[in-house]
Amino acid sequence: MKVAEPLIKPVITAGTVQQKVNASLARRHRKERVFKSFGLAAVLASLALVLILFINIFSKGLPAFWQSAITLDIYFDPQVVNISEKPVQAANESDNAFRQRDIEWQTEVGFINFNRLITDSLEKVLPDARQHRRDLQRIVTSGERFALRDMVVQDPGIIGQTRTLHLLTDANIDVWLKGNIDRSLPDAMQQLSPKMREWVQQLSEQGLIQNRFSFALFMNADSRSSLASAGLAGAFMGSLYMMLVVIVLAVPMGVAAAIYLEEFAPKNRFTDFVEVNINNLAAVPSIVFGLLGASVFIGWFNLPMSAPIVGGLVLSLMTLPTVIIATRSTLKAIPPSIRQAALGLGASKMQAIFHHVLPLAIPGILTGAILGVAQALGEAAPLLLIGMKSFVASVPGSPFDQSTALPVQIFLWQGNELRNFFEARTSAAIIVLLALMISLNALAIWLRKKYEKRW
Amino acid sequence: MSNVAQDNATNLKIIARDVKVFYGQAEAVKGISMDIAQNEVVAFIGPSGCGKSTFLRCFNRMNDTIEHCRVTGLIEMAGLNIHDPALDVVQLRAQVGMVFQKPNPFPKSIYENIAYGPKLHGLAERKADLDDIVESSLRRAGLWNEVKDRLDQPGTGLSGGQQQRLCIARTIAVSPEVILMDEPCSALDPIATSIIEELIDELKQNFTIVMVTHNMQQAARVSDKTAFFHLGELVEMGPTNELFTNPQNKRTEDYITGRYG
Repeated sequence: MKVAEPLIKPVITAGTVQQKVNASLARRHRKERVFKSFGLAAVLASLALVLILFINIFSKGLPAFWQSAITLDIYFDPQVVNISEKPVQAANESDNAFRQRDIEWQTEVGFINFNRLITDSLEKVLPDARQHRRDLQRIVTSGERFALRDMVVQDPGIIGQTRTLHLLTDANIDVWLKGNIDRSLPDAMQQLSPKMREWVQQLSEQGLIQNRFSFALFMNADSRSSLASAGLAGAFMGSLYMMLVVIVLAVPMGVAAAIYLEEFAPKNRFTDFVEVNINNLAAVPSIVFGLLGASVFIGWFNLPMSAPIVGGLVLSLMTLPTVIIATRSTLKAIPPSIRQAALGLGASKMQAIFHHVLPLAIPGILTGAILGVAQALGEAAPLLLIGMKSFVASVPGSPFDQSTALPVQIFLWQGNELRNFFEARTSAAIIVLLALMISLNALAIWLRKKYEKRW
Repeated sequence: MSNVAQDNATNLKIIARDVKVFYGQAEAVKGISMDIAQNEVVAFIGPSGCGKSTFLRCFNRMNDTIEHCRVTGLIEMAGLNIHDPALDVVQLRAQVGMVFQKPNPFPKSIYENIAYGPKLHGLAERKADLDDIVESSLRRAGLWNEVKDRLDQPGTGLSGGQQQRLCIARTIAVSPEVILMDEPCSALDPIATSIIEELIDELKQNFTIVMVTHNMQQAARVSDKTAFFHLGELVEMGPTNELFTNPQNKRTEDYITGRYG
């Protein structure tokens, strides 16, 4: 065979190619360096911002986990706690009759002035304050008298005995001792009178007032009369009930909807329309869901205001698109060869999905679901519109009781008048919320690792 | 070689008449008729996109899983019309097993891979029966000695050739009558390929095998009959020796001599 003439002459010779490449090399490398340094700078800047946020929150919030408490020997004086005997249900007595008697007895206990016990005890440690009993009462926060009452209700045998107790001091004393107020301010601008400051000084020096771990922060509901004992328990339970509703509603519904859309639904205009709108739903501002919840769940269905059930329903609506989108993308990522293998063996479509596709998709589905739940946990805006920002001083016993939620509690405390006490408490609440979020994310990662399989 | 390929109508396993497959508007298979006898190995050859895989997938109605795909014409499997509304596709697929191009074991243990089909169809009453099915399937696929000590290990941990034999074992575990193989060796190295080819030679004593292959030597080595497809048509089908030595059609001749494809 004879060698054919090249039909097309090369436009550029090999030598010029080398030259051109060399000429552009420096420029290419410079571009790469610039791009890399931009990326690195972006990473460092965001890290720095996160660090500033965390340092700020933790430096403010951690001290709030410890709170001034006074150690007192409380004598349950039978002359003060002068009550009849605690009723015991008689053999022939009906439940209702017994409850009636029990309520009467508790009312009797409720009329006892437990503040007197505290003041009597304070007098012993501050003998020269005898003529200022009214002022003395302000040292211990007002909520603590209910703690004493509860002790008596629980065990009336305590009457006539002495107990050593750690009682929370007033919020203003905590502020003063922690130095959260400028001590050089004139008396008129101080929240504590000079006399009170002197007593606090004395008690601290005696070691009676000390910083102790604040169980109140976790065990109590919010309070406005006894600020020092305001806690997160109500908000925490409210958030917990809402998350239960979200997990029970949004997760199974979202997963089922995603499986249907991805595996069973025919591809037509209707399903396209549904898909577009699910994506739109994910982009709707969360406060709009609050409006919807207020008009639909409260307005039409007459569900109670400020209740975690409504909050949970609203947050479920908000989380649903997240769960659907995450589940669908997980299902899309499962190789079709697995489905074919199952179908080829004679499995029905449903069997192929439930025996082979879903087990592989579980880590992805769980991750999507948990991230959706975490997003719902941190949401405050829609809850403001369904009345969950009202002040609730009790821990909800069911999803139908009035309640608030952790993010809303943060919002409420942030606006409290006693700034120098609640600034720290707000940060402490943020730490609790962050800890909850991080635990949820850790759970997602752990589940992902646990169920992850190669294919 | 072929001991049963007598032209006896009662021995026909698969009958296809004027089968057409449409993907939307496009006609991928243009009216193919074909007879396949029992215990025969039939190879489908032809250039890419000629419709041979699509036609193969008609036999166990795997095309049903593809949207916008429509199959017309008659296909009878052992005398039963596979498009009969009274026939459940599950019944058909239990009868017609399939091995795919890429080994696709389930991400479960070797044992579970084999046991899945029998469990699905309730073929084993007791655990011991299931154990027997698993062992005999793996033995027939020539994999038993290699995996008998690690039946609880994931099937995905085997080598490519072992995975494909695992898939064959999984298919024969439900005792189908026909096995469809869609380029079963295209993802394997030559040694694994020759093992699979030997396996096919043994399997044809019990099964009717229809395979798609791009490898003409493979078709010549393992099949009793070969069918040449081109542009959605069945150009020529005949005993493998004759088709390769004395093709009747010009297009077949061009293809097997390497002039195109």
